[in-house]
Amino acid sequence: MKIRILRQKVPDSEPYWESFNYDGTTEISVAGILDRLNFGDDIINDLGEKTDRIGWEYSCLQGMCGACAMVINETPALACETFLKNLKGDEVVLRPLRKFPVVHDLIVDRSVIHETLKSTNVYIGEYNPKEKEDHEHQYAVANCLKCGLCLEVCPNYTDGKSFYGAAYANDCYLVKARNREKAGDIRRSYAEHFANSCSKALSCMEVCPMHIPTLSSMAKMNRIIHSGK
Amino acid sequence: MKKVLIIGNGISGMMCAIRCAELGMKVKLIAPGPSEQSQSVMAAGGINAVTESHEEGDSVQCHIEDTLKGGAYLAGSNAVKGLCSDAKEIIHYLERIGTVFSVDEHDRVLLRAFGGQTFKRTHYCGSSTGKHIVSALVMEVRRFEAAGFITRIMRHHFYSALISDGRCCGALFYNEDARELVPVYADALVMATGGQNSLFGKTTGSSRCDGYAVGRLFMQGAALKNLEFIQFHPTTLQTPQKRMLISEAVRGEGGRLFYMDGGQKVFFMEDKYGPGGNLMTRDLISREIVATGRDVFLDISFMDRKAIDSRLPEVRDICAKYRGIDISKEPIPVAPSVHYFMGGLAVHNDHETNITGLYAVGECASIYHGANRLGGNSLLSAMHSGKVAAENIYGKDLCEHADFDNYILAEQESLKKMLGAKSPFAAMHIRDMLSDTMREHMSIVRTAESLSKGVEDVRYYLSVAERIHYDASVSAYINYSLNGILTLALAALTCADARKESRGAHYRSDYPATLDEYRAATIISYNDGDMQVTFDRENVYED
Repeated sequence: MKIRILRQKVPDSEPYWESFNYDGTTEISVAGILDRLNFGDDIINDLGEKTDRIGWEYSCLQGMCGACAMVINETPALACETFLKNLKGDEVVLRPLRKFPVVHDLIVDRSVIHETLKSTNVYIGEYNPKEKEDHEHQYAVANCLKCGLCLEVCPNYTDGKSFYGAAYANDCYLVKARNREKAGDIRRSYAEHFANSCSKALSCMEVCPMHIPTLSSMAKMNRIIHSGK
Repeated sequence: MKKVLIIGNGISGMMCAIRCAELGMKVKLIAPGPSEQSQSVMAAGGINAVTESHEEGDSVQCHIEDTLKGGAYLAGSNAVKGLCSDAKEIIHYLERIGTVFSVDEHDRVLLRAFGGQTFKRTHYCGSSTGKHIVSALVMEVRRFEAAGFITRIMRHHFYSALISDGRCCGALFYNEDARELVPVYADALVMATGGQNSLFGKTTGSSRCDGYAVGRLFMQGAALKNLEFIQFHPTTLQTPQKRMLISEAVRGEGGRLFYMDGGQKVFFMEDKYGPGGNLMTRDLISREIVATGRDVFLDISFMDRKAIDSRLPEVRDICAKYRGIDISKEPIPVAPSVHYFMGGLAVHNDHETNITGLYAVGECASIYHGANRLGGNSLLSAMHSGKVAAENIYGKDLCEHADFDNYILAEQESLKKMLGAKSPFAAMHIRDMLSDTMREHMSIVRTAESLSKGVEDVRYYLSVAERIHYDASVSAYINYSLNGILTLALAALTCADARKESRGAHYRSDYPATLDEYRAATIISYNDGDMQVTFDRENVYED
């Protein structure tokens, strides 16, 4: 089996494709394959040439941190949770997330996710919930990994300059649910940076590794928008 | 306005940053990645506290006694008293900032118990307590970022501390983007860099917690403590990418440990300890598994599938997803693995190390857990230690900064030279050899002979590491961190050799008894290549 990877040495260099041979078990995740390719004294590509070890980010390696998000056979996914046995064809194609600047190989800079949340004051401040809130939904939403997969797949998200995507919408809901004093401000921010531009493709929900029901967050935010008018 | 530099942005680092900001101090919170990628998100179990919802008969005093007993009486009683007394306020604080704790249908908080607890006092958030605390703290940090009190800096790796005449004034970092060393000065430096997983290769924890910072600070004069106390979890599952934790809940639900002998299942824990054998402590089960010398399995397949779905969904998913094992039909192959480090930077009750201005919090600090950690106390100590360090920095009279220009120039030159050279030795390969050595010689059952072989191996790796200039196929950090990690490994082996008794998580088959003369913390210090071990019988670190 071939593992084809879109590589890039540094942020301002040209990307290039490089392939590797893999002939081990299919009961392995893409993270496991990358680890095996990198393991050992040398790393050899499919032309038999010694090359640089593959750069990729990881931390928990069990779907809890979002570090290893990448595009696998054209689908945005976590490498640690995507298994060879579930992939079709005799080639696995890996590339970095396209909506974020590449740092090195499969590593991208996702700091824009945090910057947008910071610049629009998406924090609770004083805990002051309006009423008994949906505990189960808050739990689901607080699971967000900020991995960027929802933004990668979103047809409306480009570079995070105006439309901030599902990760933003869900955090807005958490603030609204926990501090009624901020509901108005968050509502305006949510409308400007999410609701007014979301085309409801809902692809964000399909790729979310934590299965966050973003549609439900949107419904709850819309409810407050309408009732607040 | 005091400036505080915090390295590591998991729960302890964030809590320290928030408390510093609340007190009006300016914080730089530096880590390679965002908090969502810290090891804290993996803490599943919960956080201990005796609150208004406590079980009848439970008390803060009981929590203190459980913690001291769990730590085999090596933790300082004053520190533990502070930890347990603060727990209720910590839970209330976490609720106020939006942590979603699990509640019943009447909105009453749910409590569970882990081994070693007299009462149920562990508050939890489903199966991902750490993640939910991180999510809440991230929002709170964001509040202080917006107010200008906290500045987050990412893609920076710790290189060394700026220390002169026993006073720490900041740290040097490797900036991944600029690919150079940059100094950050501060009135106080707080280390929140987590455990030492990479010494053992793949563990249940994050691969980012590698112990380098602790190793490097040790080489710069910081004393370390209790390095021999490493908690092994008895039931972990080997997968191609890491070892996955198989929760104690499986045994709590009746799961049975066995090995095969001549076609027969041997339930070795039950045979030796009776019907409750599978629920013995983590250390004991780990040792018994090792003693079998066989492949050991954990069986829950006799349990009704619906019961598995409702009570053990995480274990069911991990086994199915990562190994294709259906736990309702087949047993789980398990083996012990490194899970938590009780040892680390030696800190006083105010979380300052032996170096003025250098603090440590969370798992990289050694203070609350003695010879073994009670389940549910790690998240508590992460939160509490962050607060304590911040409050002590606030109240501390800080002196003038020294001049580090020459030191910084020399280190910059040294790194530049390393990056410009090629080496025949692969840094990753040495890391892998180190983890093989540690797994073999610093494992669950130790002897003088085995530890001495471990020391010999690591000394050899250190001699090789000195000849490594640069392995261009991996990051600069992987290269320059090698020496600190190897030195820390050598220190851990040295501590384990010095403690000629068995206590808590440290078991010596050549010294199986617990001895009164060793009822004191192990302190190890470094001086120009030499390591010196002492036992803190005067309780210097417990004041």
